[in-house]
Amino acid sequence: MGDRPGFDVVRRFRRSRNAVLGGTIVSAVVLVALFARFLAPYSVEDTDLLAVWGPPSLAHPLGTDNLGRDTLSRLIVGAQVSLLIALSVLAITLTVGVTFGMLAGYRGGLVDAAVMRVVDVIFAFPELIFAVLLATVLGTGTRTVVAALAVVWWPGIARLTRSLVLSLRTALFIDAAVTSGTPRRTIMLRHLLPNVVAPIITRASIGVGFLVTAEATLSFLGIGVQEPTPSWGGMIRDGLSALRTEPQLALFASLALGITIIGFNLLGDGLRDLLDPRARDR
Amino acid sequence: MLGYALRRLFGLVPVLFVVVALAFVANRLTPGDPVLMMLGTRAGDEALAANLRHQYGLDRPLWQQFVAYVGGVLRGDFGLSYRFVGTPVVEVIKDGLAVSPILAIAALALAIPLGVAVGTFAALRRNSWIDLGLIVVLVAGISVPNFAMAAFLVYLVSLKLGWLPVAGWGTLRHAVLPVLLLAIPPSAYLARLARTYMLEVLQQDYVRTARAKGLRPRLVIYRHALRNTVVPLLTTIGILFGGLLSGTFVVETIFNLPGLGSLAIQAIFARDYPVTLAIVVLFTVFYAGINLAVDLVYGWVDPRIRLGRREA
Amino acid sequence: MPRCPSPPRSTAIVLVLAVLGWLALAGRAEAKLLRLNVVADPATLNPIQNSELVSGDIIDNMYEGFTAIDKDGKIVAALAERWQALDDGKGFRFTLRKGVKFHTGHELTAADVKWTFERVLTPAEKGGLSVTYLGKVVGANEMLDGKSTELAGVKVVDAATVEIRFTEADVLFPMYPLRIIDRQVVKDQGPDWVTKVSAGTGPFQFVHWKRGQAVELSAFKGYWRGAPQIDGVAFLIVPNVDTAISMFEANELDLVDVPEAALRRVLGDARFQGQLIEVPAAQVRYLGLNQGLYPPFKDRRVREAVALVINREAMAKGLYAGAATPLYGSITPGVPGYDPETPKIAYDPERARKLLAEAGFPGGKGLPPIDIQSTAPFKDDLAYFSNQFKKELSWDVRVQVVERASFIKAMNEGQVPFFSWGWTADYPDGGYFLSQMWHSKSRFNRPRYSNPKYDELIDRAMATADNEARYRLYHQAERVLMEDWAMAPLTVRVQVAIRKPGVSNVYLTPFRYRPFAEVRIN
Repeated sequence: MGDRPGFDVVRRFRRSRNAVLGGTIVSAVVLVALFARFLAPYSVEDTDLLAVWGPPSLAHPLGTDNLGRDTLSRLIVGAQVSLLIALSVLAITLTVGVTFGMLAGYRGGLVDAAVMRVVDVIFAFPELIFAVLLATVLGTGTRTVVAALAVVWWPGIARLTRSLVLSLRTALFIDAAVTSGTPRRTIMLRHLLPNVVAPIITRASIGVGFLVTAEATLSFLGIGVQEPTPSWGGMIRDGLSALRTEPQLALFASLALGITIIGFNLLGDGLRDLLDPRARDR
Repeated sequence: MLGYALRRLFGLVPVLFVVVALAFVANRLTPGDPVLMMLGTRAGDEALAANLRHQYGLDRPLWQQFVAYVGGVLRGDFGLSYRFVGTPVVEVIKDGLAVSPILAIAALALAIPLGVAVGTFAALRRNSWIDLGLIVVLVAGISVPNFAMAAFLVYLVSLKLGWLPVAGWGTLRHAVLPVLLLAIPPSAYLARLARTYMLEVLQQDYVRTARAKGLRPRLVIYRHALRNTVVPLLTTIGILFGGLLSGTFVVETIFNLPGLGSLAIQAIFARDYPVTLAIVVLFTVFYAGINLAVDLVYGWVDPRIRLGRREA
Repeated sequence: MPRCPSPPRSTAIVLVLAVLGWLALAGRAEAKLLRLNVVADPATLNPIQNSELVSGDIIDNMYEGFTAIDKDGKIVAALAERWQALDDGKGFRFTLRKGVKFHTGHELTAADVKWTFERVLTPAEKGGLSVTYLGKVVGANEMLDGKSTELAGVKVVDAATVEIRFTEADVLFPMYPLRIIDRQVVKDQGPDWVTKVSAGTGPFQFVHWKRGQAVELSAFKGYWRGAPQIDGVAFLIVPNVDTAISMFEANELDLVDVPEAALRRVLGDARFQGQLIEVPAAQVRYLGLNQGLYPPFKDRRVREAVALVINREAMAKGLYAGAATPLYGSITPGVPGYDPETPKIAYDPERARKLLAEAGFPGGKGLPPIDIQSTAPFKDDLAYFSNQFKKELSWDVRVQVVERASFIKAMNEGQVPFFSWGWTADYPDGGYFLSQMWHSKSRFNRPRYSNPKYDELIDRAMATADNEARYRLYHQAERVLMEDWAMAPLTVRVQVAIRKPGVSNVYLTPFRYRPFAEVRIN
């Protein structure tokens, strides 16, 4: 019983401060996001012009915003919006990144060179600049955000996959499979893939923090999620304009965003310590 | 060393070429006819349309336009703006050029010593309350985006305490909050790294030997530990700079600074693609330049490369 | 430790002198500049091309026309000493003031008037609002079509007299803000003269324009009313709504046009109490419904429904912190021709739903989704409208925030199906609104509304010299307009500005700021 690897991981997880704290925060946020529509006490779109900028009260625990909408409800639904976007981006980047990374690492040669050149070009752009570039072509909105972030993020996954595959290629069990005539695809799917999962998951969990930040930044600048869909970045922007007299919107939205990202980063750090301690120096 | 430098430099060229090509393609992909947009109320005016098309070079075959664009970029000419009809893009952005790079470099110049100092401070007081408290602060600094922090910072420093101006540009006081805000994430990142490396280094034999020899701890730290900590940090500077460049977009918007970032945002909304793309290219070139510089410094510092020994 | 030697006395004297000298120089070099904010870069500084507010504010300080509006909102003589109608009522004779100088140093003559008007009507110059003002001058259409390069209807009688003839009566012509430009500026400065100098007669002249930052003007010492008391005006470009307020607090701005989003903060703040200027704007805010681009708008009942689901009182309170009043027609209070008897529009979503059902869209079914457009400062208004339409009419209206310059261009081309915007009067007569906004021939009829009965009433009004009779025609036309629900009027905003205590003689009228010639800064 004692040497089943699953139990060991759980035990170590519980000992890591980062993982526990991060995991708690993340679980809370995910739960809120999952049940957002049920949890939100008010509609996120219905305006009430006679009750704008209300301070925190019994009816509205976090106050109301510039159009009289309930801030708490908008923050709750905003969680769902942010996580949905992050998840969509992850789904796309993991699929694309792992595929190309494996092809590049295992096949080598031209495929490798081609994929790596593309990766280099995308890495040449400072993070958000590429998103900005795509926003000029595709226009603003949620779809652009997902597309832009996916394009920016997949090279990292691809590069990681590739180096993992390169180091696994010389492993004994791969050699055995090759000599026994196993088709390439089977080798990649059955043997390589399971072994790259752990470090990829680690990278992905650290990445969610970045993705949530990036989406919030784009929405803050006005080229991301558009009204009336609530987004934490957009709410911070609205709130900043009333910072002197009614700071509640900006402060609460900033708090929500900050705590969420801290949670994801802590969880990512914790997972990395557990699953892939070597990654620390990379 | 020279060979290494030249190789890195040449490796940059194809990448930058692709960047410019992407910018050009993006320009052509954008929806709408720019000439129609520029005509505005004189939409039916054929003569004026032909005039504008010629002025912007849009009447030539696509490959010729591309060659002209690349040639222009090499000379520093990014074409004409769509929004300020007839005005060269360079004219529109040249004032911003003085702002954004200064912000980014100043933030970096602040972040490096600040991060290293804080990280070292924490490492020396390992597992004390101060250390734990600092770790919490550092995690927050890395995680919380700058515009979220802006709310608290501006509220406290400008509005409640009135120490610093809320917006605008022109004096040193205007630069304090933006640079500070920009510098927080990289400082926190560097501090965490510095703390980790410093902890490792402090365990090393030669440090313990030096201590045993009776050398004063401070001397030990500065002479041995610090030097070996700073070098690995160099590689992260390139990554941090990318974040800084993106950060200027946000900070310039918050504080209404007349930099390239806020210009780019305005240009996006105004569908002024030549300006947006020029700024994207400039930022990318700047970023590539910094990365190259970091690589060169790293290459110089690493004796294996400096002395020209070939990698095995 | 060796003692530090005390500095010799001569050094101390030098230091004191240096400080004094610096203080003196600093005091002398401090120019008295009036600094105020504008929300965006002007589209142009060429009075010929201008057709929007930001440019207008700046241009008004550099250029003048036959008449001007004084600080009480009344018409007074400016470059024209006097004028009289020609015998057939289809023209005017203007006698120009003598001794008026342009910024370029040349003197104003009738030839400059003719030259300016011809430039306005030359297609290559991309004329803006001015083209509309000259629309009825004999020969105007020929010039616009490119068939002629000379404006036949303008006759230079002598250096100080000019006669202008129209194809039909245009009684308000003397009020039109047609800005006169020095005819020799192109010869002296080249075709891009606008980027280098200004060629007007106004109290201030162009210094430079730093895009995204500021437009700077300096005092014109040879101004015919007397040199301004200040050294210049700086229009700082501050798009961010509350940045301007913060700059004001930090003494970086002397005068601030308070944008809507900052009204709450300013009106609620005790510190600004003594510094407020509040004047209702001569500005019609409305929702434009383009019947050609969105077929359901063709039905009058749908248009009425749109107007009924907007709660104007709530907007005034919630969006404008009380600095607004509901608007029910197309002329605002304080503008001659305003009709206080215009029927009020109630907030009645019930009736709106009934109307939609009658029009064939029960429960909003069958109404295609549509975007409602405006610029960033109005995104809250748009969010309110969109939510009202969705909540009360089950009509899918989406918010689309667009950039100012391209938006204005698109509207002028009649390309925007549904939008929220406004129109500010440039001269004190309700006809400004009624003819520019809704006459089918007007270029600025952005929703492309067309009603022959309305056009006929307006044409008659524009030929009626007697004020009272003309205003009665305005009332009639407005009734026709509103009974047809041509648009959904929104609110009249109250212009709010804050002014530093040492700044005086800033005149804010319903027609925006008067030129700053008399401003003093202590």
